[in-house]
Parts: sequence; structure tokens; C-alpha cells
Amino acid sequence: MFDVLSNLAQGFIGLFQKGGENFMGLVTGILPTLIVLMTAVNALIKIIGEEKIEKVARSATKNIITRYTVFPVLAVFFLTNPMCYSFGKFLEEKYKPAFYDAAVSFVHPITGLFPHANSGELFVYMGIAQGLEQLNLPLGDIAIRYFIVGVIVIFMRGIVTERITAIMMGQRMGKSASRTQSASV
Amino acid sequence: MYKAVKIERGSSGWGGPLVIQPTEKKNKIVSVTGGGIDPVTAKIAELTGAIPVDGFNTGVSDSEIAVVIIDCGGTARCGVYPKKRIYTVNLTAVGQSGPLAQYITSDVYVSGVTEKNISLYDGEVKAEVPDEPVKEAKPAEQNVQSKGKQGFLTRLGKATGGVVGKFYQAGRDTIDTVIKNVIPFMAFVSMLVGLILGSGIGDWIANTISPYAGTIPGLLVISIICAIPVLSPLLGPGAVIAQIVGVLVGVQIGNGSIPPQYALPALFAIDPQVGCDFIPVGLSLGDAEPETVEVGVPAILMSRLITGPASVLIAYAFSIGLY
Repeated sequence: MFDVLSNLAQGFIGLFQKGGENFMGLVTGILPTLIVLMTAVNALIKIIGEEKIEKVARSATKNIITRYTVFPVLAVFFLTNPMCYSFGKFLEEKYKPAFYDAAVSFVHPITGLFPHANSGELFVYMGIAQGLEQLNLPLGDIAIRYFIVGVIVIFMRGIVTERITAIMMGQRMGKSASRTQSASV
Repeated sequence: MYKAVKIERGSSGWGGPLVIQPTEKKNKIVSVTGGGIDPVTAKIAELTGAIPVDGFNTGVSDSEIAVVIIDCGGTARCGVYPKKRIYTVNLTAVGQSGPLAQYITSDVYVSGVTEKNISLYDGEVKAEVPDEPVKEAKPAEQNVQSKGKQGFLTRLGKATGGVVGKFYQAGRDTIDTVIKNVIPFMAFVSMLVGLILGSGIGDWIANTISPYAGTIPGLLVISIICAIPVLSPLLGPGAVIAQIVGVLVGVQIGNGSIPPQYALPALFAIDPQVGCDFIPVGLSLGDAEPETVEVGVPAILMSRLITGPASVLIAYAFSIGLY
């Protein structure tokens, strides 16, 4: 009788011991580097200052390639999630949805190299990275590839969403135009 | 004439009570809860006589909002409206958290609210949002500039002091976010991993789900499911689901049932819904017109159906030679 109970208790505690080990691993394995890295990047952002970033970012809005690569990357890196979307104010209305789409799609790919940019949502990357770590595989390679593929994907998203937005805005204009026409007739 | 309502915090909520008095200009009760009008919004609108608006599908300019209703779990949305000093009701019982925690104050924010917490208010009402600025959490930046000519040493000293001050402040900010955002999630993830590994659910997942997650067609199916326009806004909030799935996939990679070279495409397969719940808020942060928001939401949701699976294929191409 007592054996059964103690086995149950052992099993119950065991569940959380596994979790505790995992937590210890995260705290000692990830936190120290994370904290130092985040401090360095946060300091860099403060030293450069928002005005200079804005100036550089603005110049990246003109052509379609930098608008959905350099511009959102700067926004996410320097303003971090969620304030990065405020950079949309530098764009014309027709580009805003595409910019948002590009910027928000970068808030996870950036975390492999620069976790400060989205510290509340690290585990999309880190969850998977933890598994690789258990296999003793190096993480540098996947972090950099995640970043590069991220840039390519947000570029594609920016262009596709810009096209769809243009088509939908066109339809809307057409509709409201025909409505005013029929109203005047 | 609109009536005033009093909104109190729910049983485990935070902040408030708020007294909301819609006016001729500020007469919209905006629900930003992933589509549709939730019951709390409906109740507030019914009592006040103001207009309920589905903020997810309709754009509303900030100056017309009497109160906004959100369901944020504490990552991003809960701070955005308080930062703009707009009255905010959070259906989730979340206090001052997220990157914008410093703006969440009890005079504009109340959480954990259910229909029971809303009542008619009779009494004197100040119609305007209190405009008093939020107490700055950060100490004032050191002012390096000063009048007159100074010796070289003085200037050097002040400049150094300024830089050191910035580093120190950066350290404080970092520790702050680590405690508020990172460690709580680590605790949650560790508990989850413990349960998965300790209970045998892990083996079950390994046998049923990972055969799909470990192939490209399987990952494509996952990405398409996540990108379905009705589902994506529901899967988005706080990236919680993406993070849980990330941890699940990580565990499966760790125990060898998913090959490690699928890690990169998997990162994109589990994330086509990223930010889909946040589109109206994100656009309004960028000063978008209401018309742009109305077009932008469906445009982005549609775009994800194409770009979600495409991103998996691109990631797959780039994972060649990885591990």
C-alpha cells in the first residue's frame, strides 16, 4: 500500500525534477550570455540615438529592395518589438501593410543573433535551438541562416503584400467611384 | 446623450476602476480581440449607448475611441494603447508586463474584466482621459551639453560619464526585461518540457506527430494550416503557440526523432501566423489611416497563405549543408 503511494509521489515529483533540470540548464546556459549581449546592444542603441537611426532608416524607404529588407531590419533591431512598427509613419499609406508584414515577420528570425529585439518571444528559436544543443551541435550556423533566410522571406512578404494591397485598394477605389457615379445619376 | 459606465478589475485582474463616459466625438467602443465583438464590448456598448466596433476588421482613428477592449496575454498589445493614453480594458488578467509595462497604469488600464465587472455609473464624470504623463521609469539622461567654454579634461570627463551612464542604464533595462519577460517564459517552458519528458507524452508525440514534422510535405501542411486566414489571428497572440510548438519540435530534435537539418524549415513552418493578431494595432502604431487598416488586414492574411509555405521551401533550400 505504502509502496504504491510512494511510487506515485516519486513519479509526481519526477515530472517536476525533469523540469527543474531543464530550468537550471536554461538559466546557467542561456541567461549569462543573453544578459551581457542584451546590455551591449541596448547601450549601443542609446549611444547612437533614435534621431540618427531615423535619418538612415528614412533613406532606406525609397527603393523597393531596401524598403522591405534594410528598413524593417533597422526598425526591429533598434526599436524592438512592438515599437518597431511605428517606423511605418515614414511610408506612404499604400506601403504600410507591406512594411508591417515584413517587420513583424522578422521579430523571430532576429532573435537567434540579437535576442534583445524580442526578448518576450525567444522560444520560437530557442525551443528548437535547445534540441540542437542536446545533440551537441553548434548554434552559430543555424542562427546566421535563420537571420539570412528571415531577410529573404520578409523581402518576399513585403513585395507580395504590397501587390495584394495595391489590388485591393484599387478595387475599393473602383467600388466607391461607381457608387458616387450611380448616386449622381 | 451617452451614459457613463464603471469598469472594475476582475477577480485576478489589475488596475482600474475606470469610468468611461463616451462623448459625441469619442463614441466608439473598439474590440481588438482577433475578430468579432466580444461580450464585454457588447455590454459596455449596450450600457453606454456608444457604438461597438470590431477593431480587427475596421479601422478607427484614435481620437474616436472611448475605450478599447483587448485580450492580450502580456506580451505586446496590452501596453500599446495605454502608451497612447487611451482607456484600455484587457480581458486577460495581466498586470504591468511586456515591453511597454511602464505605460500601463491603473488610471487608464484595467484587466481580467468580465461582463459582471461592468456597471452603470451615476455621478460626476471627467470626460477626458487624464493627460498627466506617465511617471518616467527611466532616470533622466545625463545632460552632457553645458554653456561656455570648458577645459578639455572637463569635457572628456563629462563625455565619459555620459557613456558610462548609458551603459549602466542599458544594464538595468536588460535585467528588467529578463526578469519581466524572459525568466517567466523559461519557467513555463521548463515545466512543459518536464511534463513532456517525464510523463511519456513525449513518446506519444514522437510516434504520431514527428513523422510529419520531419518531412518537407509535413512541414508545408503545418505552414498552410497556420496561415489559414481564420486561424492565423487566433494562433498569433504573444507567439505563445509558436513558442510551445518550437519547444515541442526542439524536444523531438533532441531525442533524435526529427533530423536536425529540418530545424531551419521547421522554424518557418511553425510561424506563418506571426503578428496576424496584431495587424490593426501594428498599423495604427505606424499612423495608418483607418482605410489602410481595413485593406491591410485581409491583404496580409491573404499574403501569408502564399508566403507561409514559400518561406518553408526557401528555408529548406538554405538548410542544405547544415548539420
